[in-house]
Amino acid sequence: MSGATLYSVSAALSALLLGAVASILPAPVNAWLTSPDVVTGLAVLIFSAILLAASMINTIMLIWFERKMLGRFMDRRGAMHVGYAGLLQNFADGLKLFRKNTFRPREADSLGFYAGPTAYMVTSMILFGVLPISTGWSSGALPLSLLLALAIFSFAPLFIFVSAWSSNNKYSLIGGMRSAAQMIAYEVPILLAVVAVVIVAGSFDLNVIVNEQQNYWFWAPLIVALIVFVAGMLAEMERIPFDLPEAEAELVEGWNTEYGGMLFAFFMLADYVRALIGSILVVLLFLGGWTMPSWVPSVATSFPLAGIFWFMIKTYLVFGLFIWIRASLPRVRTDQLLRVGWNRMIPLALLSIVLAAVVVTVRCLPLVGCVPPLGG
Amino acid sequence: MWINMGPQHPMTHGLWNLRVRIEGEIIEEVDPEMGYLHRGIEKISEDRHYNEVITLMDRTCYVAGMSWEHLYIIAAEQALHLEPPERAQFIRTLADELQRIASHLMWYAAFVQDLGLMTPFLYGMRDRDLILDLFQSFTGARMTYEYNRAGGVRNDLPNGFTDRARKVMDWLDARFVEYDQLCLDSDIFHRRCDGLGVLSARDCIDWGVTGPMLRSAGIKRDLRKDRPYAAYDRVEFDVAVADGADVTARYLVRMEEMRQAVRIVRQTLDWLDKHPGPVLAERLPRWLGAPYAPVGREGYLLKRNYPTGRGFSSVEEPHGEAQAYVVNTGGEHPYRVKFRSPVFVNIAAAQKYLPGYRVADIPPIMGSVDVCVGEVDR
Repeated sequence: MSGATLYSVSAALSALLLGAVASILPAPVNAWLTSPDVVTGLAVLIFSAILLAASMINTIMLIWFERKMLGRFMDRRGAMHVGYAGLLQNFADGLKLFRKNTFRPREADSLGFYAGPTAYMVTSMILFGVLPISTGWSSGALPLSLLLALAIFSFAPLFIFVSAWSSNNKYSLIGGMRSAAQMIAYEVPILLAVVAVVIVAGSFDLNVIVNEQQNYWFWAPLIVALIVFVAGMLAEMERIPFDLPEAEAELVEGWNTEYGGMLFAFFMLADYVRALIGSILVVLLFLGGWTMPSWVPSVATSFPLAGIFWFMIKTYLVFGLFIWIRASLPRVRTDQLLRVGWNRMIPLALLSIVLAAVVVTVRCLPLVGCVPPLGG
Repeated sequence: MWINMGPQHPMTHGLWNLRVRIEGEIIEEVDPEMGYLHRGIEKISEDRHYNEVITLMDRTCYVAGMSWEHLYIIAAEQALHLEPPERAQFIRTLADELQRIASHLMWYAAFVQDLGLMTPFLYGMRDRDLILDLFQSFTGARMTYEYNRAGGVRNDLPNGFTDRARKVMDWLDARFVEYDQLCLDSDIFHRRCDGLGVLSARDCIDWGVTGPMLRSAGIKRDLRKDRPYAAYDRVEFDVAVADGADVTARYLVRMEEMRQAVRIVRQTLDWLDKHPGPVLAERLPRWLGAPYAPVGREGYLLKRNYPTGRGFSSVEEPHGEAQAYVVNTGGEHPYRVKFRSPVFVNIAAAQKYLPGYRVADIPPIMGSVDVCVGEVDR
């Protein structure tokens, strides 16, 4: 499979399809259809469709994974009845939500009420186009792809706040404000922790960052940055222990109290999309992405799609850690969360930058190995 | 800004409304509104036979039906001048303590759920099911037992019950350790619970707050010790006390009460194994009958000559001190039945222990009160 990228596959598919269609059409249309512009256009569409399908299926599998894992933690079985071991349960749930009537409170602002969840969903999905899943799975070599991903990731509080405010409900408003405060507060330590990675890798390009980790995953030298990043990601994903914007005990469902049917499904799905993105970012930045260390026998890394395979394994393991945390910790309070964010996380993140500078200067650490020289 | 937390709200655990005036995140003023679940149980009781009222008692508090049956039946027996046999007293003690464990497990599940802990919630519900299984094996029902009778209990324990119960008690003993690990060993738990909802001993007495909330303020008052009923004077146990008067202290008190309840259950099981005997008084006024049993002609005759009386009882229900007053004017039905619900008072005192804390503190604080709306509204 070396050489074949997702884009080259879609381009070949596009050329094949258009060629087949063109062969039964009259001359002028025929020529237009096989022109490079049209082929490229369709190739991009196919590329996006494959990416969308793959990411949606992964997101839904992630929900299944969480339900089963939580079930095991809680001495129960989780979803069991739809499909083998409940594999199709989430599809059934999604279908149910899809069939439901979408309603809007009379006093709610319709533009914000409908646009909020949609934009939240869309901005979360766009991230899949930015993140490289494996060699050849990225949409292109973006020199600043990490920065772009984090920029898109931080859109969320805006849309949550808009939809919370426009639902005209006190619980929603409080939840929306909490959510915005929390996400903005944890944006800062996350970015600082990422700076540590960037210092060691020497690039904002996620492909380069992963390649730098070929034999030297960043989690060990940058353990402080990893802790800050994971804690920050928990807050960004609004999962327990940081799920207070939707703390159901006091705020019913927080900012999505007034949402039902497909709009609620949008929020729910986007939350898991963001959880998946968060896990992917942890894997990309700290756990070597799709690479495996050289002591792993080559048989385990050379089969077709091995990169994606290992990448998904790592992603699901990271998400499993999030599930474990969810199963065992209570929820903190807003003021405690913000205090931890500003007073603990940011100093830790700054410390991690210093450590990164030390790592880059010293180059070799006991037990961890040596950093490859910058740019190669 | 006023927020209505209820009547349909995940925090309420039932049907009541906590109106809260907040300034930012701080609670300024609290106005608990009850009455959404009022079914007029006291009034309905005046139109039922003495034994038929027991059915209503199960519905008074749906997580502690046995305790409420016991409460009513003590008052009714006093009013009717009946004396239950000794074995029935022990079975009632056993049932009461099983009910206390089940009720506290339900509280545990709901309380940790309010904190966002899903795992212990399911553990609590799972272990409560074992107690309900025990109830089912000797009363035939899991929640609405209708097991007590004026003059004793309906039936004896089935064969092998005591061994089964002992097994469950052993299992629970091990689980309590796990519960504490899941809660007390967590730093976040202490951050969420320590020093919250403080109601000092003085305030507890002023507001009439009873039960675990009172004992969490360091006052060693437990009706099972102070005014023993049933067989409580013949079993050994300690009164659980803590002195934080906050959410954590209430947690500790309830956990210790469950351990003590296991202790009491073991003792009653041993006693019951050794002392077979009747469980229903032999000479009963026939018109009492079983619920729904036809009342014979001679029964009415007997009733006319039956002495009048009044009964008052107070028992240590899982939520606090419940009291009942039954007046027998010689009629077929009680003339008047009146109950005192501990939770009603405990909720009303929210005006005292909620202001000053944050909105996010309401679920743990109200969760530590252990609300059962069925008995609040009756």
